[in-house]
Amino acid sequence: MIAILQTDCPTCRLIAPYLNKLADGPAPVTAISQDGEDATREFVRQMEIRFPVERDPEFELSRHFEVVTVPTLYVLDDQNRIVRKEPGFDKDTLNEVAALVGQAPIAGPYDGAPASKPGCTSRHLEVSTDDAAAAPLDMHSTRGHAASVADLADGEDAIEYCYRAFGDALPVVPPTVERVDAMVRAADRDPREVIARIPPCYGEATVEKIAANAVMAGCRPEMMRVLIPLMRAVSDERFNAHGVQATTHFAAPLILVNGPVRQELGFHSRQNVFSNVARANSTLGRALQLILLNLGGARPTTIDMSALGNPGKFSYCIAENEEENPWEPLHAEQGFTRDQSTITLFAAEPPHGVSEHNARTARGVLKAITYALATVWSYRNCTGFEAMVVLCPEHVRTIHRDGFSKRDVREFLFANTGIPLRCYQDGDSGEGAAQRSLYTEIVIDGEPCYRKFRTPESIKIVVAGGTAGKFSAVLGSWSVGPRGSQMVTYPI
Amino acid sequence: MRIVSPLNETAPPAFAAAPRLRTLEGKTVALLDISKPGGSIFLDRIEHRLRTEFRVAQVIREMKPTFAKPAPPEVIERIRGADAVIEALAD
Repeated sequence: MIAILQTDCPTCRLIAPYLNKLADGPAPVTAISQDGEDATREFVRQMEIRFPVERDPEFELSRHFEVVTVPTLYVLDDQNRIVRKEPGFDKDTLNEVAALVGQAPIAGPYDGAPASKPGCTSRHLEVSTDDAAAAPLDMHSTRGHAASVADLADGEDAIEYCYRAFGDALPVVPPTVERVDAMVRAADRDPREVIARIPPCYGEATVEKIAANAVMAGCRPEMMRVLIPLMRAVSDERFNAHGVQATTHFAAPLILVNGPVRQELGFHSRQNVFSNVARANSTLGRALQLILLNLGGARPTTIDMSALGNPGKFSYCIAENEEENPWEPLHAEQGFTRDQSTITLFAAEPPHGVSEHNARTARGVLKAITYALATVWSYRNCTGFEAMVVLCPEHVRTIHRDGFSKRDVREFLFANTGIPLRCYQDGDSGEGAAQRSLYTEIVIDGEPCYRKFRTPESIKIVVAGGTAGKFSAVLGSWSVGPRGSQMVTYPI
Repeated sequence: MRIVSPLNETAPPAFAAAPRLRTLEGKTVALLDISKPGGSIFLDRIEHRLRTEFRVAQVIREMKPTFAKPAPPEVIERIRGADAVIEALAD
């Protein structure tokens, strides 16, 4: 058995005692360290390693074995052919390997170690950090690196391999060479063309890498025509994915789809629009999330340290129900023609539902929405954020019947959403209270209030959802403006 | 079966960590406030201790315009000469 390891990889440290147990059995174990002599010696001492550890200073062995992540455990037969290749740490796998070489199980379920843990990127795919002369990160080239390809052993479960090697919590469609090729062909571009660099780690989103992630998400090849502009949108400095992906807040990029592409690719805009209702919505949202993880590097265990997270980080993509929208759709407000397809990104909290089944007037419906808007971010905090109001078709009909234009809706919500001054009676304590000298005082229904939003345009209005049920939604934003995240719309 | 890696394989920029300071005495220490609430209170206290207890020669106070984005180049440029940087991260 051969195990390729790094001395500072937590998963390599996790697997080390189990490799000791394997080494106690009949089959010899050798480890290959990708690190320097001192670090390797210290690792052997600290981990009380009982098997030989070789070094791989030029990564020749790592390249030979095509290792992608460490640890990877290889089981060789007596002719040195690889019979198993096991990346990461997995107790069931370790017990299977033990059984294969005639040992009793070595990993018990309650020994304090997790059942499984993905590994780290192989060192030969990085630049050595102690080589000060190494090339700096190239942020400008339009031609990127070819993606590496791993050869799975016969009988290897590809879905389990993807989990261990790539580390996403949800199973993925294995990005086989054939599936990725079909996706790249649909894009009709050089596979190594760099479309964007994805914050916060600025990984190269080459056509091939976008395609591999799109395959994993379950996208059909024709989705590449949406994914290319989506990459440009998500790396737009105004959207500030760097901050959105690294914040402890709830924000996740919500994709809004407008225009004819909705029908062309099957984006759903009606009932259950935020749910698992259509392959196009679900897979595009999931592809963006996988790209943000795999190329952007904001994993929910490390750089993305959101306190509670957001279910939208599985997938968050809706289409506007333009057919039930009597006003201009979102993209038309941004200056696009109706027959231009677009995607819009908005850094959003999960939807907060507003039920109003009894109001018979525009005013009555919109008043209900103002009370949800008043709670965005934190009730006493005003002006530092935006909100998206997703109006359901039944509410839209009531509002439109009373002669409200979209502008009237926005201005009504702006004028009627406020926080009563009595909420600030306990002085400057509480989030948002210390800034109240900057807030604008208004009167709502006879009560003095601070205005909740900075401008009417802080409230984005979209029509979506099914034609039955008087349920609209309010989606709070993250920090906004030039110091936060700005909504961006890109043509498809 | 052959699987295309979906992971970032871009080489990260190489740099060596600065050697650990043996003493703060006579050194220049930059204090970087990322502009989160409370950061200035924390750094005021750190500055006071650095000056009185550790006898640093100079303290540079800098602030990012927003915690939501990386520090702009001019802020990094102004703290470049410091022997050490202490960053106040959160609320």
